[in-house]
Amino acid sequence: MMGAAGEVWWAGARDGLVSASCRVRNWATIAHLGASLGPRRLRVALRKHPWLRKLLLVNRLQDRLTQSRCGAYRQANAILVSSIADTLREMLEGVFLHPDLTVVHEDLVPPELLFGMGLRPWMAELLGIVLPMLDPRACEPYIDRAEIEGIPSDLCSLPKATLGIVLQGQMPAPRAVVSSNMPCDGGMAQYTIWERKLKAPLFQLDVPYDFYDERAVEYFAGELRRLVAWLQEHTPGRMDWDRLREVCDERNRAVEAQIELWDMLRVRPAPMAAEPIYLANMVYVVARPGMRRSTEVMRSMARLARENLEQGKGALPVEKHRVALWNPPTMMFLDLFAWAERTWGVSLLMDMITFHRHPFIDTRSEDTMLRDLARIVMQGPMARHTRGPADNFFRDLFHLVDHFGLDMIWMAANVGCKNTQALMGMLREKCRTQGVPLLVIDYDLLDARVESQEGIRSQVDRFMQTVMRQERLS
Amino acid sequence: MTGVVLDRLFGELCDDPAHAVVTRAREQGRRAIGYACSFVPAPLLSVEGIFAQRLRAPGTCGTPLADTYLSSVGCSYPRSVLEQAMDGRLDHIDGWVMVSSCDPMRRMVDNLRYLCDPRFCVMLDLPHKKGPHAEAWYAQELRRLAQALSKAFGVDTSDDALRASIRRHNAHLATLRALSELRKKDPPPMSGADFHRIVVASFTAPEDSLRSRLDAMLASMAEASGPEKRTQECKRAAPRLLVVGSCIDDPRHVEVVESVGGVVVADRHCFGCLPGLEPIAEDGDPAAAMAAHALRTTQCPRMMGAFEERVAYLMGQIRAWGADGVVLETMKFCDLWGVEGAALVAALRDAGVPVLRLEREYAGGNEGQLRTRVQAFLEAMGR
Repeated sequence: MMGAAGEVWWAGARDGLVSASCRVRNWATIAHLGASLGPRRLRVALRKHPWLRKLLLVNRLQDRLTQSRCGAYRQANAILVSSIADTLREMLEGVFLHPDLTVVHEDLVPPELLFGMGLRPWMAELLGIVLPMLDPRACEPYIDRAEIEGIPSDLCSLPKATLGIVLQGQMPAPRAVVSSNMPCDGGMAQYTIWERKLKAPLFQLDVPYDFYDERAVEYFAGELRRLVAWLQEHTPGRMDWDRLREVCDERNRAVEAQIELWDMLRVRPAPMAAEPIYLANMVYVVARPGMRRSTEVMRSMARLARENLEQGKGALPVEKHRVALWNPPTMMFLDLFAWAERTWGVSLLMDMITFHRHPFIDTRSEDTMLRDLARIVMQGPMARHTRGPADNFFRDLFHLVDHFGLDMIWMAANVGCKNTQALMGMLREKCRTQGVPLLVIDYDLLDARVESQEGIRSQVDRFMQTVMRQERLS
Repeated sequence: MTGVVLDRLFGELCDDPAHAVVTRAREQGRRAIGYACSFVPAPLLSVEGIFAQRLRAPGTCGTPLADTYLSSVGCSYPRSVLEQAMDGRLDHIDGWVMVSSCDPMRRMVDNLRYLCDPRFCVMLDLPHKKGPHAEAWYAQELRRLAQALSKAFGVDTSDDALRASIRRHNAHLATLRALSELRKKDPPPMSGADFHRIVVASFTAPEDSLRSRLDAMLASMAEASGPEKRTQECKRAAPRLLVVGSCIDDPRHVEVVESVGGVVVADRHCFGCLPGLEPIAEDGDPAAAMAAHALRTTQCPRMMGAFEERVAYLMGQIRAWGADGVVLETMKFCDLWGVEGAALVAALRDAGVPVLRLEREYAGGNEGQLRTRVQAFLEAMGR
């Protein structure tokens, strides 16, 4: 029998081993990318797309997300970062080796249809999301570039940074672009400039304002049919309904694992938290649904949560508070919750981007698949909160408070998001009425010059001390 | 200019949406239906028993109440409307008809419902695309609105009643269009600010209450303006400007632009002559006709995939109205016009059209700065 000291030593060694093996895996992923592109193509790619160099920071990201965590929670984060790195490699290989099949899609337009047509999806906003994860200041030059070109400084920095990459000529050239009117005016409007700059054909899906009825499903399923026809006209892609069925079935399996994970989060202390919930969702349910790897990652997250649950352990050593984060996560401060966990015992259990009420896709016929995909797109993450009446924004939020037994709501009030800024007054009053403490974090999604990480930490500290009357753990 | 004096009523209506003309109509039993924005067909709100009033908030000095809810980083037009709704200045509005045109407008309606709970408030679900599917969708929305109006106000919104309303509205538009056409003359018979007063007033009062005055105005303008008198040399002296933008409903703003020597001959904005003065089809299904009119004539940047079409339209209007330059006015915090503005400036400059881009707030102000910017622009144009 191992003594208590031995157990601690063994746990520490195992944690170290997990980090080391993922670190090696990450280097292997980078080497793999270089090998597949070959020296000449790699040189050209690095010159045309200098942001590729940021991938070398992947192990630093892994450290930020694993060092303060332990056991299954640490392992989940390490697996997640390594998997994301490898997924990114796959996507980059698609872009550089098969540009003819590459179709850019807006982040809220899920790519199942593109997979079904044998095309290579590249998420338009991917770089604006991934680069600040690797380097919090990575998007600043692109934001500046967009502003120099006349894009208003008050526009949300995600479309602004994305536009900056396009205007800088650093966005991989696609065969076609597919976007929509989601999630907001700025996100939608940016594609005018995409179209002009990249000279690529553009199709924009039109999501109705009120999308919770059959009339909207019918209209939007029609939009998806028109998209398929348009893609067949403008790309070499051809719809293979059997392949789409496989993609949808795979997606269903990943969501099944996700729902299992969510069920476990209701337990106190929660056996999993933060990135394995929201980052895994962002990459493997939103950006890459229907891939075998997506199911594997979601199952790994659920398996590791179950491991903790069976041992009666929480993800955090001390779970003092359970939180939902509303609005997209703070991409320029991705390790906010790694810090909040060790400083205040705050466990992030759910967020706006992750929580959904999507149906499993009924794969019995082309029509059922399109109709369920229509529902998924219209009711997609964030889209259903920023479209439609305000009730869409609040209903999910207060449901989460009850469902997951949350102590407070953190609102990541991205200054560029005018849509949700215009709901802040109502949100404050509703939280007050329901007795739910609300922290409003004033910041910019991608631009640390507006509010630094230190500034965000101070906002959290002040809230925890004055509103929650808590003492710091460390 | 011809020296024709504009009826004072037009200016008064611009300053006061609850003017005596409006009050009188309400005392006679007609209900005022406030609406925004250009996509809402006025004839549907102008059947017997009700009249349409485009929602405006003139005289707004600040928006402290609205800022609490909408935040100060949103478009100042919906903030101003909400402010006036909250402080009672829009109490003469009996019903609200809004459209999901942009994020700030949608959120304004959310907050209006939360804070003021108006008895009648309908949000029309407006597609972001043109084409037959979108028109069919929007026509259905208009039918839904017609039913709701009928139920709430007991008015007749049958197809026949709507067709009659469309005919009256078309007659009204024809007068405005004729007035607008006069501005193609050089020199134009009226200033851009005066034309703006006429349009804004006609969006504010019941259309029938202005008909005789508008007809009289048109007759005197047409008589006074006569044939073009200027020589080519003279034309060079008075730069003709086309104002482009969103919600510009304060004629004093246009006055400032004109005070430094330019003359605004055409206005491609929500309260201007381009587009919107085109007649609506009078036969067939009225809802379908109004939906088609709204979606086919619009030049709003909230419509997806139509940028090149908008540029082509604008270039055509620049030629048609003999404009020497474009003043592009975008509302601060408007994402749609913010991005459109960047692309539009580049497209116009590529086409060799001088363009001045101004960022403004709904309530105006900063007259000195505005005057300096326009003056510098005219000098840069060589005027």
